[in-house]
Amino acid sequence: SFKLLGILDIQNIPCARGAVLHGSAASILVGLGHFLATSRVKRSFDFGVGGFMLTTLGSWFYCRYNNAKLRMQQKMIKDGLKNKVMYEGTSLDPTRK
Amino acid sequence: MAHPSQLGFQDAASPVMEELLHFHDHTLMIVFLISTLVLYIIVAMVSTKLTNKYVLDSQEIEIVWTVLPAVILILIALPSLRILYLMDEINDPHLTIKAMGHQWYWSYEYTDYENLGFDSYMIPTQDLTPGQFRLLETDHRMVVPMESPIRVLVSAEDVLHAWAVPALGIKMDAVPGRLNQTAFITSRPGVYYGQCSEICGANHSFMPIVVEAVPLEHFENWSSLMLEES
Repeated sequence: SFKLLGILDIQNIPCARGAVLHGSAASILVGLGHFLATSRVKRSFDFGVGGFMLTTLGSWFYCRYNNAKLRMQQKMIKDGLKNKVMYEGTSLDPTRK
Repeated sequence: MAHPSQLGFQDAASPVMEELLHFHDHTLMIVFLISTLVLYIIVAMVSTKLTNKYVLDSQEIEIVWTVLPAVILILIALPSLRILYLMDEINDPHLTIKAMGHQWYWSYEYTDYENLGFDSYMIPTQDLTPGQFRLLETDHRMVVPMESPIRVLVSAEDVLHAWAVPALGIKMDAVPGRLNQTAFITSRPGVYYGQCSEICGANHSFMPIVVEAVPLEHFENWSSLMLEES
């Protein structure tokens, strides 16, 4: 599969594609915006790269945090379903009145 | 399982391996960003027209390139330590299996209830049936019940070996005279392959490990069958 810089598998790593896309968009906006404001080419590129890194990082951590919360909830649901199947109707059923 | 030209990890078959995969993704993204930054700096340095020979120091940039790597290392270290301690948790295993390394095969002992023990030799290439994997299949697999915590005690009878199953995120040295302990839970049924991971002589590459995770009922049937055969 395709890997960015030969190492980052954006197709299969959760949140990777989104983070890189957000970073690229921010990089273009920030770089272009800075250039339009100051007409300084090299400094605009610096800002573009800085914007890419910060936005990629921010998007990555936000998405991974939500992803991790979701995975925890999925694990709890999976265990809960197993326990429900095992204990439903027995004296150990917590929902039994 | 592994496939040709593979660069990344195998799919996770245990919760610990899932955590390791996610940690690897996290660290890889940091590495990717650092590589991008370094690449950009190289291009900028090569193409700059600025040539000031008299820049002697700059407190600001020195602070930045000291504090930033420290922050990055903390961002990597915290999840890493979390997983390290997660792997060491006491998990009340349902079953204990002893894996003993020999030259050049593994032997497994299930001695919790009955005295079940067997050797696990690699199936030679000329004896493989179609669909079997070269250098990975064994005559007897280590069968375990799925979704149950299993403790594996690893040791060796002669020289150093290592018991490794990448899909479960396990690697443990088999040292003669020493008992090493590891534990795992398989999240799903399946067959997971590994190979000896410590150089142990001529046939070090030809003593694979096969773990087969099956539902408990199937495991009970298998163990009864193995006891009858032995």
